[in-house]
Amino acid sequence: MNIRRHPVAAPLSLLILLFMWLPLIVVAVNSFNTDTIMAGWGGFTGHWYSLAWNNQDVRTGLKTTLIIAVASSVLSLIVAVTGALWWRNASPKARAVYDGLIFARIILPEVVFATALFFLFLKVHFSLGLTAIVIGHTVWNSAYAAIIVQARMAGLDPALEEAAADLGATPWRAFRRVTLAALMPAIIAAGLLAFTFSFDDVVTSVFLQGASDSPLPVVILGMIRFRITPEINAIGLMVMLFTVTIMSLAVIIYATAGSLGRAGRRGSMLDMYR
Amino acid sequence: MRGLERQALLLPTLVITTFFFVVPLGLIALYSFGSINQVNFDVYFGWTTQNYRDFTSALYVHTLARSVVLSLSTTLSCAVLGFIFAYFISRQPPRAQQLLLVAVIIPFWTSFIVRTYAWVDLLQNLGPVDRFARALGLHGHIDILYTPYSIGIGILYSYLPLMILPIYVSLERIDPALYDAAADLGATPFRQFRRVVLPHAVPGLIAGIIIVGVPALGEYVIPEILGGGKTLMAGNLLANQFLETGNYPFGSALAVTVMVVLMALLFLLRKAQPAAEVQ
Amino acid sequence: MTTTTTTAAPAVDLAGVEKRFGDFVAVRHLDLQIQPGEFFSIIGPSGCGKTTTLRMVAGFEDPTAGRVSVGGRDMTGVRPYRRPVNTVFQSYALFPHLDVFENVAFGLREARVGKAEVRERVAEAIRLVQLEGREGSRPRKLSGGQQQRVALARALVNRPEVLLLDEPLGALDLKLRTEMQNELKDLQRGVGVTFCYVTHDQGEAFSMSDRVAVMNLGLLEQVGTPEDVYHRPASLFVADFVGKANRFHGRVESGGPGTYTVAIEGIGQRRVPGPDGLAPGAEVAVVVRPENLRLAPAQDGDGVGASVVDAAFLGAVRTVRLQSSRLGELTAAAGGAAGAPVPGSTVSLTWDADHAWLVPTAETPRIAAT
Repeated sequence: MNIRRHPVAAPLSLLILLFMWLPLIVVAVNSFNTDTIMAGWGGFTGHWYSLAWNNQDVRTGLKTTLIIAVASSVLSLIVAVTGALWWRNASPKARAVYDGLIFARIILPEVVFATALFFLFLKVHFSLGLTAIVIGHTVWNSAYAAIIVQARMAGLDPALEEAAADLGATPWRAFRRVTLAALMPAIIAAGLLAFTFSFDDVVTSVFLQGASDSPLPVVILGMIRFRITPEINAIGLMVMLFTVTIMSLAVIIYATAGSLGRAGRRGSMLDMYR
Repeated sequence: MRGLERQALLLPTLVITTFFFVVPLGLIALYSFGSINQVNFDVYFGWTTQNYRDFTSALYVHTLARSVVLSLSTTLSCAVLGFIFAYFISRQPPRAQQLLLVAVIIPFWTSFIVRTYAWVDLLQNLGPVDRFARALGLHGHIDILYTPYSIGIGILYSYLPLMILPIYVSLERIDPALYDAAADLGATPFRQFRRVVLPHAVPGLIAGIIIVGVPALGEYVIPEILGGGKTLMAGNLLANQFLETGNYPFGSALAVTVMVVLMALLFLLRKAQPAAEVQ
Repeated sequence: MTTTTTTAAPAVDLAGVEKRFGDFVAVRHLDLQIQPGEFFSIIGPSGCGKTTTLRMVAGFEDPTAGRVSVGGRDMTGVRPYRRPVNTVFQSYALFPHLDVFENVAFGLREARVGKAEVRERVAEAIRLVQLEGREGSRPRKLSGGQQQRVALARALVNRPEVLLLDEPLGALDLKLRTEMQNELKDLQRGVGVTFCYVTHDQGEAFSMSDRVAVMNLGLLEQVGTPEDVYHRPASLFVADFVGKANRFHGRVESGGPGTYTVAIEGIGQRRVPGPDGLAPGAEVAVVVRPENLRLAPAQDGDGVGASVVDAAFLGAVRTVRLQSSRLGELTAAAGGAAGAPVPGSTVSLTWDADHAWLVPTAETPRIAAT
């Protein structure tokens, strides 16, 4: 790393890196900290972990979140993949509308969207709860998934399905053996991404949970509001490790199995920014 | 693939985007012109602009203004820091680039709410930052928690990777030979920077500002946690109207206003973008 | 898939085939037959309809009118996956997520061929295209030439009745292309499968094919052996497309079938071979190929006078550009060993009566089957 050539940028960048990791370190350290005020190090303890593990709200929250995340990922993938397949043969105008709706779903602040959906459910007397949350998550999750799947789709030779048909595959088998198979890394990565976003979500969940069990992030929010103990740090570290693992998996799958071998380009999640 | 089958493919997307996105947004736009019966909290529809006029009361204007200012300032600081970091990465050898990117993205993959909460620990009086500042000679406490500053730090922290990525992508495209070419033509490092780097960075910068600035305006969680209920942003105000007060028409008007402000912002930024596409 | 058709049935039979895309007519009334076991090429400029025709044989397009038959059986409307036909695509279209073995085995697996037989036939196909050792590689790891061979193996392993090739050598460099042309020709001879090859490169088609069809703007101009097409073109378009042509306009005075007396502008009366059915008074062009135009010193009275513009030495051949006041620009070609004509000098041009051909210019014939 040629630090000498960038006397300003280099130290600042390292500080920024430190800045990014600071909260993680604090959470990790304090989750083992005996000192409850967390003004200093009081000694190592695993007490918070056992507290967290035995907290009924936390366990219920975890279960609820997992259900929501899985359901929402699956639905989002269905929306994203069918949409991408439709997009292949769509007119430019239709495509523009489709793309615009993806952009809108990503850019719109979640709180505006959540209130709107809350209001809709209220007006049509649709009861809030798990289903409502899953629907809410799916709306924006499907947009992120669509971007990833679409990007991959664009790299596929349209002649591939024709080649499959030429070799004796019926349309369904051609789709399954060729298009779907080639899309699979992107689908998995998109699914894992959607899962993580759902797992982590607060706003939509708060608005649409109604009287049902709260998902884990909402439980954590409640605990924060009431300035509960360092239990939060213990929960936090466990959740962080979990989501980092999932996301790392997604990136690895996409970048390695996902390579289509176009000259000079590595498959990368950055492609969605191009 | 015949016509009918293709249209069937669009169905899931259609359902999700129409019923659960466009319709709800349209609904609140509609009800922003409605009113609420103060006695039985029945919301009914009648063309009135009262909700929008309620806006002009000091509290709400103040909150909205603060949201815009806060969002703007954090977006700008985000842009500066993000640019520095993205520039630094883009000038490293490929392996180092990947490493640095991963290093800055991993925190992004961890729980948003937990990371935000960590700042409570960090910024509280008697917390690590406070004690560090006092060690450096500060008298008294930093008193930063539960103020707009802590919210600003929280937003800056959470959105920085979203700013770094698009800028990095723009800068990565720069052919290293361009720097040599510029130097060959007599440009000092500073001028090289100005005439090679900056033009390439602008599209990424604008993209980053959109991706950061727009959602930041509607932030809810960060002001909740780091604002301690004392400092409100538009997002919290909106949430309160719907979840606590129950004044849906007014809340709708608020939501619509936020959306309009956003669209204006977006429009301005998009206009700047094609002009900035220097390739 | 085995065929039990009589030996008389053509491998491919297009009868009255037409293809429209909205208002655009890609292929007009096409009558074409490809014989079993022949290497048949369709050539023509971009947009002439050759690829569309190929796709109709494969089943990717349905004709707007007419009938497509393969091996004597009507295939109109039959989906591609049910036709005994396989295609080698221009982009190769290799499946990126499968290795070479699985790519080649794809069609066999669709046909539910047993594991042992799959292994055997895939190995045979890979040997045929000389790709032993690469079975486990992914397409992205292979060079263009290797990918092309995989595409070929993948198609041939299914033992199709007809193999369709859509400009498969387009992406290869010249040397590789020439090599592959020879290999394809040997392969076709060895395997005996009917090849239907589409290309815009006349030389390529000529070097490999038993017969060639020339298409232009959706119409079939001529079908015949390369020699037929070259020495006896049916239209000026064909004459120009397959090589350089000197043309002298004139009118038929008498004669036929086979040879006619023609009054050639600027030259006079000559006897020239031509197609049957030319009536006296018919407007024609006499086509003489550059290599058949002989240069003699100016004194010889019999020939046409012309002055040499320049002579380019190309190694095996020397091309001479000439200018005649009466006939315009002309081109002659001679072996490189012959002496070089001096630019500016005057020469007398003659040709052997047998080495010219009459091309009707009044209207373009639809089909000239040979």
